[in-house]
Amino acid sequence: MNNIMIGRFIPGDSWVHRLDPRTKMIATFIYILVMLWSNSWQTYAWSAAFLILLIKLTQQPFSLYWSGLKPIFWLILFTVFLQILFTPGEPVLFKAGPIIVTLPGIINAGYVIVRFVLIILMSTILTLTTPPTSIANALESLLGPLKKLRVPVAELALMLSIALRFVPLLMDETQKIMNAQKSRGMSFSNGGPIKRAKAIIPLLIPLFVGALQRALDLANAMEVRGFKDATQRTKYRILHYQQVDRIAFLGLGSFVAIFFVIKFIFHI
Amino acid sequence: MIEAIKINNLKYSYQGSQQLFDDFNLTIQVGQWVALVGHNGSGKSTLAKLILGLIVANSGDIDVFGERLSVATVNHVRAQIGMVFQNPDNQFVGATVADDVAFGLENMQKPSSEMPKLIDEALEIVGMQAFKNREPHMLSGGQKQRVALASVLALNPKIIILDEATAMLDPEGRDMVMQTLQKLKARFGSELTLITITHDMDEASLADRVVVINDGKLILDGEPATVFSERDIMHSNGLELPFAGELLAKLDKRPNSYLDERELVQWLSHLKK
Ligand SMILES: Nc1ncnc2c1ncn2[C@@H]1O[C@H](COP(=O)(O)OP(=O)(O)OP(=O)(O)O)[C@@H](O)[C@H]1O
Ligand SMILES: [Mg+2]
Repeated sequence: MNNIMIGRFIPGDSWVHRLDPRTKMIATFIYILVMLWSNSWQTYAWSAAFLILLIKLTQQPFSLYWSGLKPIFWLILFTVFLQILFTPGEPVLFKAGPIIVTLPGIINAGYVIVRFVLIILMSTILTLTTPPTSIANALESLLGPLKKLRVPVAELALMLSIALRFVPLLMDETQKIMNAQKSRGMSFSNGGPIKRAKAIIPLLIPLFVGALQRALDLANAMEVRGFKDATQRTKYRILHYQQVDRIAFLGLGSFVAIFFVIKFIFHI
Repeated sequence: MIEAIKINNLKYSYQGSQQLFDDFNLTIQVGQWVALVGHNGSGKSTLAKLILGLIVANSGDIDVFGERLSVATVNHVRAQIGMVFQNPDNQFVGATVADDVAFGLENMQKPSSEMPKLIDEALEIVGMQAFKNREPHMLSGGQKQRVALASVLALNPKIIILDEATAMLDPEGRDMVMQTLQKLKARFGSELTLITITHDMDEASLADRVVVINDGKLILDGEPATVFSERDIMHSNGLELPFAGELLAKLDKRPNSYLDERELVQWLSHLKK
């Protein structure tokens, strides 16, 4: 399944690729946080402009990011639907029985779409330009202080990187099992919700059994390659905090500052 | 002279099943390429797991380069043996080819600064350096198995065991892996002991020595030509000869010794003259 973009990494040598994964992670986190304060078209426009600049800097085509959005299309549609139906206010644009569509509802729905898209795109920049192993290393480093509380951070990070590695494989396997069962007359798209839910069970069981077998094999493979425990290992991908990262944080700082300036100018 | 692997009076049974290995003995010399063959369930993978200490024998001894396998020595013994498994996907630990080769190096606590060189060298041996940054799902089965081989080579093992490493590959992938093995053998010579577990007799015929086991017992042991001349014994243990061997047996007029495919072709073309 090559259209799955979740966690997909595209090797490259752009400015963004070279950033320390911790920088990218923190920046993504801050950007998402800032998005929660955004409530006018001016702030959204500014955030979008900043994001487009970042995407340009990754030197990857926009179409790649676009395909990253596709899987969540239905989620966005669903949220938009809720916003339109359940936002009270004036003026009312349309009314039919219990269904009331208001202008604030439409505007809110628009904001939700933009917010969703921006957040997803920002996370895609992170995953697209950072190898999963580096994401795991960054997480391990950032969560490092938790080791004092006996949280097994190294193990969790290794688990995360292996989980990410197996996502496309399990997707593939699901597709194969579905095809095998479709060819025997199983239908996953017809019938009521209960019938469809029942159709999932014969899909999940072989998937689960297969995943267990994989896990056992993988454990053997890891053990014969000298794996003892996650803490006593060196790292191939080392984290380097350098000049580019300082520049990146300056850029991010300016973005946040201007964001709040805009916010207060237009909404006192 | 010290042996690469020496198995003495090995007994093993899986919990709740009958005795699989009962007084099993096998000695493998340093630098030998041994093909271990036998039909499904004959105990080949179990033997490999016993040698690596992934499972523990009920009794008997396994010596690797003279070192007795035990709880105390298992890590040191394992460090000298590399193993490639059957399923290409289930042994790919890293997110990319380079990360996968790095995994073993990280476990050995090699300094980060030395890793890129070691990774490049290992990938170069198996001809996969151009794929360094690829993710596993962008590789063919044969390529994944070569990466698995590189991951093992990076750790500088003295013994490599391949457990049906080509069984899930298409003919092209199989050829790629077998060619890589032959190159390895040519390059490392007597420094590398190779054990290939296989169902494919054409693959087995590339080895220096073929060992046939069934139900945990040693049935035949010798050079490929010697073993493959025992057609009846092979058949009664559920095994076919290589294509050339089966053809040879069906000819009316036969040469008086076992021939491999190339020799057989020569012999046949002389016949025509
Ligand atoms: N984990 C296990 N628990 C119990 N029995 C097992 C286990 N693994 C294998 N066996 C049994 O032990 C015997 C030998 O199995 P093994 O996997 O060693 O055979 P093999 O020669 O590798 O076969 P194949 O060619 O199919 O890989 C078989 O009868 C098998 O059913
Ligand atoms: Mg086996």
